[in-house]
Amino acid sequence: MAVDATKLNAESHLLLDQPLLRLPYEVHRKTFKTAQKHLERDCTNLTSSLSNLIASVQASSSADTDTDSTLCSSETVTGTPAVAALDTMITRMQGLKRKLESLHKEEKEVMLQSKKRIAHLQDLYTIPSLADEGYDQWSRLRLDRLLVDALLRSGYGESARMLAGEKGIEDLVDVDVFVQCARIEASLKRGSTAECLAWCSENRNTLRKNKSTLEFNLRLQQYIELVRTGNLVEAIAYSKKHLAPHHETHLPEIEKAAALLAYSADTNYQPYKSLYSPKRWDHLAEFFVSTHHSLYSLPSSPLLHIALSAGLSCLKTPACHSKTMSSSSNTASSTTSLCPICSTELNELARGVPYAHHVRSSVEPDPVVLPNGRIYGRERLREASVKGGVRPGWVRDPTTGDEFEESEVRKVYIS
Amino acid sequence: MESLQKEHDRLLNKSNLSKPLTSIDKILSALTTARAQISSDPTSTAATAITLAKLQNQINPIVAHLNDDQKEIHSALTKYGKALDKKFKTAASASTDYEPLNGDRESGLISRAIAMHLIREGSFDVASMFFQEAEEKGEMLDIEDGLTREFRDLYEILDAMKVRRDLGPAIQWARNKATLLDARGSNLEFELCRLQYIWYFMGGEIGGVGNKRALEYARREFGRFQDKYLPEIEKLITAFAFLPTIHSSPYAPLFSDPERMWTDVSRSFTKEFCSLLGLSAESPLYIAATAGAIALPTLLKMTSIRKEKNTAWSSVNELPVEIPLPPRYQFHSIFVCPVSKDQTTETNPPMMLPCGHVIAQDSLHRLAKGGSQVTLKCPYCPKESTAAQAKRVYL
Repeated sequence: MAVDATKLNAESHLLLDQPLLRLPYEVHRKTFKTAQKHLERDCTNLTSSLSNLIASVQASSSADTDTDSTLCSSETVTGTPAVAALDTMITRMQGLKRKLESLHKEEKEVMLQSKKRIAHLQDLYTIPSLADEGYDQWSRLRLDRLLVDALLRSGYGESARMLAGEKGIEDLVDVDVFVQCARIEASLKRGSTAECLAWCSENRNTLRKNKSTLEFNLRLQQYIELVRTGNLVEAIAYSKKHLAPHHETHLPEIEKAAALLAYSADTNYQPYKSLYSPKRWDHLAEFFVSTHHSLYSLPSSPLLHIALSAGLSCLKTPACHSKTMSSSSNTASSTTSLCPICSTELNELARGVPYAHHVRSSVEPDPVVLPNGRIYGRERLREASVKGGVRPGWVRDPTTGDEFEESEVRKVYIS
Repeated sequence: MESLQKEHDRLLNKSNLSKPLTSIDKILSALTTARAQISSDPTSTAATAITLAKLQNQINPIVAHLNDDQKEIHSALTKYGKALDKKFKTAASASTDYEPLNGDRESGLISRAIAMHLIREGSFDVASMFFQEAEEKGEMLDIEDGLTREFRDLYEILDAMKVRRDLGPAIQWARNKATLLDARGSNLEFELCRLQYIWYFMGGEIGGVGNKRALEYARREFGRFQDKYLPEIEKLITAFAFLPTIHSSPYAPLFSDPERMWTDVSRSFTKEFCSLLGLSAESPLYIAATAGAIALPTLLKMTSIRKEKNTAWSSVNELPVEIPLPPRYQFHSIFVCPVSKDQTTETNPPMMLPCGHVIAQDSLHRLAKGGSQVTLKCPYCPKESTAAQAKRVYL
């Protein structure tokens, strides 16, 4: 069983690391989509303005030959305007080039990031077993990643940035994405929709594809604020412009919103009371964060929490929250080390989780029992007694410190 | 993983925006050339028309090419996306059934665990930023005031050992805590002094085996350890008799790998230090997260089977499957009653019969049919006893 337990199955082990590659992929796609949009618009523009120019030159040249005009109109109709038109095209193309260059830079960054991440995951495949020192290092790096992720998600942006810098793992974590997310979240909690609306328009296509109602809800909230402050005329205009287009999907809400005009902000009637509720801003903020995370294929709870909830359970034993000190894992003796669930960091956290399932006993080799009922491996008991400087023929209980004669030590049978 | 890497390499090396950019450069140069031609002869309509027609002929294929480039990038991206889908079949968010860690209380406790982890890993700057941000958020972390200072001490001591090969601060600490360490049966102080001797013996940072400093050191310091560690000390001193061929002598193993000794001693120092603070030797957060990552595939599989078969989870206190963990993730002894197959707990503790066999209390009561004076046969040997004779044992 011991051999089996150290087997490392890299394929299933990477379960937690999906967002590591997903997020840069989504960013990459978004960058490409933007580039595509620019390219399409500017190239269509280029070809059509070129054809227009050619058409107008041809028209004027045929006019030239037709009328055989001696006026110097030919010069104004052909050469200079053509140059001017070409200049416009050149400027536009230069603009496109600039935009594309900056997008290409972003693209390169995200590709290098992905490359490093793939290499990091690839490292795991070269590690022979869970008992290997390489796995230890890999897992520490993973913990640092998970910590940065958890810090970012709970709003500890600066700590996250510092930790990533200290560990040199900036390429393996997504600080900027989360910092932006946190900024918009905070702006919503402050009661401002502007930044979130800007984000919506940036991601309009994807949001539309996912049938997200985020934008409508933001607009609705903006409308409610206008009504709250008594700008009824403005509110009506706002609703015509921003709410009415959603009538197919949100008619009941729009109707309610319209009726809101008849109620003042201190009304006690539902649903208008709840429409006026300032708590809606918190819900909006939550709604935004979940929309944001699903857009980037990020799991809704921090990966650290997922790993911990599994880890706490499979490490926990019935002894971890027991009032009597465990003989096999405590801080009283240097022959054992304290179990991580018993240590104060995680002890409270693990209180509610189920403990691990075992079908077989596992005890120290050659167990013996002392008169006080404590069970130890014979070798460890001997070692502890020697180190403790106990007189010959006696042993000392490493947990309680009590001393007993060796003849009182009994063999115990544990199956 | 290979296919993922291949698809990504394609993006990185070939299918990216560098291609459309080259095309745009071509368009720009065609435009500038045409402009130069026309402005050199602005009066001739015919010449302008010809130049423009030529320009159009040049540009149209480039634009068509641009579209192809985009298609290529798009398809490469899609392929990479598919490789990702294939690689990660299950969604990461598909976690286990129970999510005990998402409440407010839990998130506070996790923040506390993170803060303690940062401190014990020696990331003091990050930790102090964390405290600052927690204060701004109004989150209470409930961490002992002295903890940062304690660990700063630890890292100073470890740093002295690692960077300057200076055991002084470590030995000083061990002496200050001698009573506590003795109570734990720890030989840390001797371990440190022994390393100091060996380091001197090997010539320390200067080099040269058999340095006299070692002998002076032994004379000065080893006397105190004579009671407990005499055989060990004898070995250390006798090494002088085998100079200068120490590495082919019976004492070679003592001096073979000083680097390793430094790391081992640092590790035992950290362990003793943490234990005196009542903490586990390694960061619990690290152990738990690692164990969690090892366990997760099994737990996910269990969840999916459970959903498929629509069976309920019978015991809430205990995970329904055994998750094999490497030996170093096992801390407590586990006792599973051989009769009932239950793990013993506080309310159902292990009981030892007079013959030395151990069973769970519930099983004992069942065998005794409730009476403490009823004789019962041990399920494992012929010996008979009563429930009253059974004794609670502690594992």
